[in-house]
Amino acid sequence: MTALLHAELLKLRTTRTFAALVGAALALSLLVVVLTATLDNGLTEGDVRLLFGGDFTGLFILLLGAIGITGEWRHRTIAGSVLAAPERVRLLAAKTLAYAAAGVVLSLVVTGAIMLVGTLILSGRAEATLGLAELADVLWRNLAVAALLGALGVGVGGLVRNQTAAVTGLLVVLFALEPAIAILLPDAGRFGPLSGAPSGIVGGFDFPEGKLLSPGLAVAVSIAWAGATFAAAAASLRGRDLV
Amino acid sequence: MAPVEVRDLSKRFGDVAAVKDLSFDVEAGRVTGFLGPNGAGKSTTLRALLGLIRPSSGSATFAGQRYDELERPGSRVGAVLEDASFHPGRSARDHLRVLAVTGGHPAGRVGEVLQQVGLHEAADRRVKGYSMGMRQRLAIAAALLGDPQVLILDEPTNGLDPPGISWVRELLREQASNGRAVLVSSHMLAEVAQSVDDIVVIAEGELRAHGTLEEVLGGGDVPATEVRAQDPLRLSSALERHGHRVERNGDLLLVLGATPAQVGGIAGEAGVAVLGLAPRERSLEAAFFALTGAPA
Repeated sequence: MTALLHAELLKLRTTRTFAALVGAALALSLLVVVLTATLDNGLTEGDVRLLFGGDFTGLFILLLGAIGITGEWRHRTIAGSVLAAPERVRLLAAKTLAYAAAGVVLSLVVTGAIMLVGTLILSGRAEATLGLAELADVLWRNLAVAALLGALGVGVGGLVRNQTAAVTGLLVVLFALEPAIAILLPDAGRFGPLSGAPSGIVGGFDFPEGKLLSPGLAVAVSIAWAGATFAAAAASLRGRDLV
Repeated sequence: MAPVEVRDLSKRFGDVAAVKDLSFDVEAGRVTGFLGPNGAGKSTTLRALLGLIRPSSGSATFAGQRYDELERPGSRVGAVLEDASFHPGRSARDHLRVLAVTGGHPAGRVGEVLQQVGLHEAADRRVKGYSMGMRQRLAIAAALLGDPQVLILDEPTNGLDPPGISWVRELLREQASNGRAVLVSSHMLAEVAQSVDDIVVIAEGELRAHGTLEEVLGGGDVPATEVRAQDPLRLSSALERHGHRVERNGDLLLVLGATPAQVGGIAGEAGVAVLGLAPRERSLEAAFFALTGAPA
């Protein structure tokens, strides 16, 4: 399993897609933090928490996970991958773990960067900043969301297999379906896989007061989503003829 | 136990029977050509052997073990698939590095196989800039990475220019001379005839013949005779009792491994009137077409 995990991480590092998405996540997250920290006045500690908790790693690793597994079908490399690692469920598990780990590393870099840049700007403007304990609290939440969304992206991609459909579907659910459910049925929407439960982990602002899941429950719900999609993708891959 | 054993293998895709009760062995130290026209079931058979598709019945194993039961399969079996594909944005060297890590092969093998297939100078270029021939060479490099004792190659000469085809032939011979079992599929007999020891011929998913090239196709010095008889069924039975292989085309029988004198003698013993008798010198291709039913 260790060898498979290393191989999947090597696959990730040896294409330009990964570097491009890392750059995009970092640039977008920094842009939002720099603009907010520079232009907004009278920020509270709660505002700063939300600002630092808003790294875009989750979105990008979600898409990267889906692109990574669907790319095996798109480029018809899945047969070669299965030849090298005939235990298909282990192969999928390795890919899932690799994208979860990549999410953690990516989020560590992005969150660390936005915390450093944001704190420097805010302290220079004598605005509120966060202490080390608060920063650590924001950091673990961001890392957890990135890891779980990376795994979820692989599960969804493994199930859908078509790259365009998987990426489009994820964006529609993230930016249209879940927000609509959050407004219309917040009690159900807070359990959503891409926005609802992750918002509970980071303590987001997408839900009415008191409607967010607690961080612990939100982590459990996100694990359940990732586990369910993994199981469905594994069942699909295990029984499929690779013609 | 043979390095490769296919036993009563069948595979259906819905209503279509792609492979029907196929059985053959591939021996160590020999190159076995797996021949048949397009759509004959060659790729399906090889993919069943490699665990990529599930047989409907029967088995395809390596010394009795299914591919997915092999420990470190890349060190036992190297495979080139017909539509060998690579991530276009990854270099050849990185592609092989991924496979080396997955299969637990020494990192130094990557450079060795790149050198062996002549891709060392282009190894750090992204695969999307490769020609078809370079991709085939990369696929072969991947198959050789684990220094396996069995090589399975599905149409490895597709897209290769004549020097490339010649290179593949030499590679196959070299691998077999080192004791490896090599199974190579092709729909073009001419491309493999010079390099194979044995052939397995299939058409419409069924085994049509299995043996050495000469035995199966009646080429080389093996005699063949065309005979037209009043009772072809009786003559055919008599010839087969004498150990000759007979192909029937209406009233006309093609008897492999027998001279006209031998056929005449057997017909006389069987009391079958012979209406015509002639030696047959046919090309390998013609024999192949006769076996597979493909148009000449």
